[in-house]
Amino acid sequence: MKAYMEIANSSLLYLLAGAVILFVLLQSVLFMRLAWKRGVAIGIDPAQMKAAIKSSAVFSIVPSIPIVISLIAIAPILGTPFSWLRLSIIGSNSYELIAAGMGAKSMGVESLGGEGYTAQVLGNSMLIMSIGVVWGLLCCILFLKKYQHRMTTIKQSDSTWSEILVNALFFGMLSVFLGDPLVKGGLALYVLISSAVLMMGMTYIGKKTKISWINDFALALSMIGGMVFAVVYTGLI
Amino acid sequence: MIKTYEDQMHQLGRIFGTIVLVAIFLVPIIICTVYNIYPPIKNLVIGIGMVCMIYVPVTVAEFLTYTPLLGTGGSYLVFTTGNLTNLKIPCAVTCMDNAGAKPGSEEGEVFSTLAIAASSIVTTVIIFIGMLAIIPLQPILSLPVLQPAFQNILPALFGALSAYWIQKQWKLAIVPILFVAVLFNLVPVLLDYAGALIPVMGLISILSARIMYKTKFITSFND
Repeated sequence: MKAYMEIANSSLLYLLAGAVILFVLLQSVLFMRLAWKRGVAIGIDPAQMKAAIKSSAVFSIVPSIPIVISLIAIAPILGTPFSWLRLSIIGSNSYELIAAGMGAKSMGVESLGGEGYTAQVLGNSMLIMSIGVVWGLLCCILFLKKYQHRMTTIKQSDSTWSEILVNALFFGMLSVFLGDPLVKGGLALYVLISSAVLMMGMTYIGKKTKISWINDFALALSMIGGMVFAVVYTGLI
Repeated sequence: MIKTYEDQMHQLGRIFGTIVLVAIFLVPIIICTVYNIYPPIKNLVIGIGMVCMIYVPVTVAEFLTYTPLLGTGGSYLVFTTGNLTNLKIPCAVTCMDNAGAKPGSEEGEVFSTLAIAASSIVTTVIIFIGMLAIIPLQPILSLPVLQPAFQNILPALFGALSAYWIQKQWKLAIVPILFVAVLFNLVPVLLDYAGALIPVMGLISILSARIMYKTKFITSFND
């Protein structure tokens, strides 16, 4: 085992990481409670809110698995506790490795965990990963209120347009994620098409039969269907 | 003056956000201090420069793009808990739609926050279990037969999500999708910078929507 790993897997680091993660978890619980109370206050049926929480929780299970896979990949390099912290709160698996790599490069070390990756380089990686990740949160703290105020002004002057505007932003994001498999083709494209077909089928059945749980779980089920298709298709060729 | 729900969320979001922000920095600072492994300031500054050059513009764009969709409580939560595009945004948007609540409305605010909070809790628990069970899980999750499934989770997610929304609002979808497809074909190197392209496409999408709205091709949210 490399010398820096003693620090990277120290109980102090576990303790610190655990404390931060627990705090963020509490924030989620508190915000959920407040939203629930607010929902009750403005007359939303609690059963509907319960269904929303349930379907969101179920949907989130499968996309969480690649994060665990990243944890398995990153933990041997940066130690388990810091990887656990970084993947549990803001950031994403691709960001973490790139930022950690920049931490190594700026110390003149070519590869993460490789030759010359000392405790000091680990320190540099950790500091840089932390500084690089906070900007979105900082924007929220400083500007969210002002920005929303602006959006409200648009809404008041033309509410139809403000709804279209928000949806257009969403389609901008969708188009980027669609573009990749559409252009590259191959398995990714087949997976895309198969989960799209599943989704259309399920929304059609949901509409016809008026069974509400189909709509609630259609996205999760179509996604899993697409992933199963990827395994089956790869096995066939 | 009575504080509105939004004001309360802003206040709590700022308090929690600031504490998390400080905590994020404290972790490496404490470790560096205790073990005396501070890097030389020059190298640290170079590294910070590298990471900020890429991620400051990307996150500012993410902030501008996603917060109108997510509302107040949801935005603070999502920028604390992360995994936006691969998890929280599809989750929140789908949840609002199933509940018949529009993004930006009072109901949308409630459902978005509920969805993001539920999603965050589940993810945190799963990662925790994954960490505890890292040794038994490793051989299972790295089985070669399962790799195509995990490598294609984004096309699987976005295939389903897009199918639904294109069916619903094809007029809004058509321009950005065609634009991206042509762009990636002409300049394939952009595929590696997809993240940075999201705000650009957001703008193009808004512009095309604006034109369609002004020319009355689109007249309502449900068009």
